[in-house]
Amino acid sequence: MENILGTNLDRIVILAYFAIVMGFGAYFGKYSKTTSDYFFGGRRFAWWLITISIVATGIGSHSFVKYSTKAYQYGFSSTMTYMNDWFFMPLFLFGWLPIIYYLRLGSIPEYFERRFSREARYIATFMILMYMIGYIAIQFLTLATALYKIYGIPLMLTVILIAIATTIYMHFGGQTSVIFTDLIQGFILIFAGLLLFYLGLNFLVDNTSYSSGLKALWENLSPAEKLPLANFNSPPDFNFVGIFWQDGIAGSIGFLFLNQGLIMRFMAARSVNEGRKAAAFNVLVILPISAIVVSNAGWIGKAIANSIPGALPADLAPNDVFVSVANLITSPGVFGFIIAALCAALMSTSDTLVNASSSVIINDIYRPLTKNKASDEEQLKLARLASVLVKVIAVCLVPFFNSFDSIYEAHGWFHSTFTPPLVVGVFLGIFWRRFTSTAVIATFVVGAFLMILGQMYPSLVSPFSHGIEFRPGRGYSYIGALYNLVVCAGVGVIVTLFTKPNPSKNLTGLTVFDVHKLKNIFKGSDVNELIGKPVIVNYEIKDLKEGRVSFSEDDMKIANAKKGDLVYIQDSRWWLGGLKSIHATYDTPHKESGIVYISQKQCDSGMFIDGLSLKAEKEM
Amino acid sequence: MSFYQTWLPFIYLYGIGGVSFLLGTFLIFRTGALRVNDPVHKKWVWVLFYGYFFYAFIHALFIYLAIESV
Repeated sequence: MENILGTNLDRIVILAYFAIVMGFGAYFGKYSKTTSDYFFGGRRFAWWLITISIVATGIGSHSFVKYSTKAYQYGFSSTMTYMNDWFFMPLFLFGWLPIIYYLRLGSIPEYFERRFSREARYIATFMILMYMIGYIAIQFLTLATALYKIYGIPLMLTVILIAIATTIYMHFGGQTSVIFTDLIQGFILIFAGLLLFYLGLNFLVDNTSYSSGLKALWENLSPAEKLPLANFNSPPDFNFVGIFWQDGIAGSIGFLFLNQGLIMRFMAARSVNEGRKAAAFNVLVILPISAIVVSNAGWIGKAIANSIPGALPADLAPNDVFVSVANLITSPGVFGFIIAALCAALMSTSDTLVNASSSVIINDIYRPLTKNKASDEEQLKLARLASVLVKVIAVCLVPFFNSFDSIYEAHGWFHSTFTPPLVVGVFLGIFWRRFTSTAVIATFVVGAFLMILGQMYPSLVSPFSHGIEFRPGRGYSYIGALYNLVVCAGVGVIVTLFTKPNPSKNLTGLTVFDVHKLKNIFKGSDVNELIGKPVIVNYEIKDLKEGRVSFSEDDMKIANAKKGDLVYIQDSRWWLGGLKSIHATYDTPHKESGIVYISQKQCDSGMFIDGLSLKAEKEM
Repeated sequence: MSFYQTWLPFIYLYGIGGVSFLLGTFLIFRTGALRVNDPVHKKWVWVLFYGYFFYAFIHALFIYLAIESV
């Protein structure tokens, strides 16, 4: 192994990081008692907890390498893909999120069965699993490539070691472990990325005549590198219009509407409104910060290359920018910490996807095949085995992805191949009542066939090319997503017009047109929309009907609640973010103010501590 | 720097993206998924439009600064 980077201290820091995260994740395994806990964390967490854990999911290890590369080559336009996700937020926040939350969907394919047919669910299951497992393989490959340069261990052995490390805490903890390890890793990722930026700016100040790092960075980039959006249609490997359709449209819809890992995160929120807050804060605040976190090594690298000749190798390969810049501007130990952040990115993204994949395997393959007869305990065991199986398959796929020219291309291939049919299927399903079961299957099958034709005969894509140069042997890359979306949507619309629509009674709650009815469907009775205030109470144990809790008349008056309404009760310490909490239904009130009667089972489920007060809020 | 490098991507992004945004907002409003008489939903209407103009402002500002630096 040539050019091994880093010092022994760096290697120790990385190993220590792995050990800490595995221990942390395994600790939170005790909070997963059922499959609902394992996959959805019991639907109890506060928005801020969900938000920070989403950060770590959104930033993969490939992100640092991929965006630093583009930042080095093209400047600030590397941030484009992190700053074009707002356009579909209205439909997501008020259309899709209430549907998946209130219908208690276990997975995206389950939606396809309820909205269309079992056949549609099976095809969607296959496509989503392929997408997620391939994505995990890319994560393994990226991190292994970086660690290979530091430890000198053969690439595939590094991949296997990473897979084993992430399996340990995932195996025990499920979604709760994922959320809490991702919370820590989210902070580490942002801190490490911003630390790298700070050190880079200091490096520029120390080695140039500028007194301000930001000024040194700005002045050492060309005007074109300061533009936030890429050139409209050139060069072919990085142009605005292609990336807009591939990432801004197909990618954004795919990310918000089809990313099973992300959806499961929102479903772990304690309410739809908490999920909305998490999503909005993530896109408005966290994504712009994330764009700086993942790109800055490339910007700093370019400014160094322009202002300090010889500081970076003249033949520096773009894919090596992140590791080389980090190695140059950090001291021993700090470099290890930065690489540990890369590990954090990998572990947090892959654990989310592994958890999501095992959820799909249980919910969409095992349960339908066994007609849901297996006990919850058996399903939990199988979920853990499924997560191991997913990782084994992902490891086996690594050599295939290693054969692509770059990680950027491998990732782009995913988006353009797997997302358009699913994007069209779910989008038309939610927003067009007339869209039929036959049409969605045709979208998947015929759409996929037309997409393959487009790859074989690029002349089919050329009417959509917006003047992007065609590269023989490599096709149109990003803009192919527009062609794929058009053919899939075209097939869906045409087949719908020639087939009989599903009876509208079968679609209740499954389209955006019924969102206003979803709360009633969720609650099972009329919704009490009166606004009340939270109450602080102490609990006492009493045998009550399943899922019921009994508050005093006074406390129910403050909450504006009635018998049969839903209530959320949590440990009153806000910083737990809902970790210790339950959902319940108001039973007949009693006379003792400040007391809530709960069952022993609810107390165990909420992990409430004797003597500590609880905060209760009426949900609906 | 040419129009293809500077303002065309911006116009395309907020034009096509803006149509998607407005259609989505119109749809959730028409179907009753978003109710402006609900005080919680009313705040969300502001957040939705704030998000759109926030990103448009950031992008426009950097394009302007990049042009000025030529």
